[in-house]
Amino acid sequence: MGALIAVGAGIAALTGIGAGIGIGIATSKAAEAIARQPEAKGEINKTLLLGCALAEATAIYGFVIAIMIILFLG
Amino acid sequence: MKDIAAEMYAMLNETKIAFTVPIFGGIPIPSSVAVTWGIMAVIVLFCIIFVRGFKLMPGRMQTAIEMFVGWIYDFFTGILGEKGRKYIPYLGTVLIYIGCANIVGLFGLIPPTKDLNVTAGLAIMSIVLVEAAGIRSKGTRGWLRSFKKPMAVMVPFNILEIVIKPLSLCMRLFGNVLGAFVIMELIKAVVPAIVPLPFSFYFDIFDGLLQAYVFVFLTSLYISEAMDED
Repeated sequence: MGALIAVGAGIAALTGIGAGIGIGIATSKAAEAIARQPEAKGEINKTLLLGCALAEATAIYGFVIAIMIILFLG
Repeated sequence: MKDIAAEMYAMLNETKIAFTVPIFGGIPIPSSVAVTWGIMAVIVLFCIIFVRGFKLMPGRMQTAIEMFVGWIYDFFTGILGEKGRKYIPYLGTVLIYIGCANIVGLFGLIPPTKDLNVTAGLAIMSIVLVEAAGIRSKGTRGWLRSFKKPMAVMVPFNILEIVIKPLSLCMRLFGNVLGAFVIMELIKAVVPAIVPLPFSFYFDIFDGLLQAYVFVFLTSLYISEAMDED
């Protein structure tokens, strides 16, 4: 039972993959955009930060669920 | 497995009750409330000390404070526009409070935002402000009509959004602070010296301030969306 719960928590933590890919793509595009238009740097930074925060939230949800699995099933 | 769960539970509940007020048979004060009182006291003290003796020709300290307040006003005015200026004092206060609450971990205190109740309260305050801003700028009928935009099929989703927005705000802040706290505890358990320092810089200072920024940024974005006439 304990091992199964650990596996479940591990699977929940896999949400990090999506967030990592998303933030990576967003950052690469932002770097491209700044290279193309350096004068729009402030605006691009603001948008990038918002996008990263939203993408990162999914990873955080996975983390919260993993902790809940350990706490309430463990 | 049992002991990991027990340890995590202990971490979550660590000194949950700071002390008890000995009236009416004892009122328990959670540590998040006690730390919040401390933050309030420090900020009020800072305000009194630094704002006293402002001059027309600003000194160095006054210039720094004016730049900081000016940055807050510029930032929110950029999102909300001129008609949203009346919401800036609240948003600025929340920004400063969450920022202080997140970096308070540096001083060995437990950040109040690690308590789900605190972030839930902040998120509920935000959604009430968002809906109130919508009612104020569109009128009650306009606000109700805004639920069936862009078409009537969207009504249930727009109503769901009232719940989802604060839920995601609350969980994002709580999860980030709790995650940073758990990781810092794990690092401290493995290597107690030197190594936690750079991680502390990232998790306590950078991530804490970033989350404060994101919280008020999203709140103001929701407000400007609610005020939008179309």
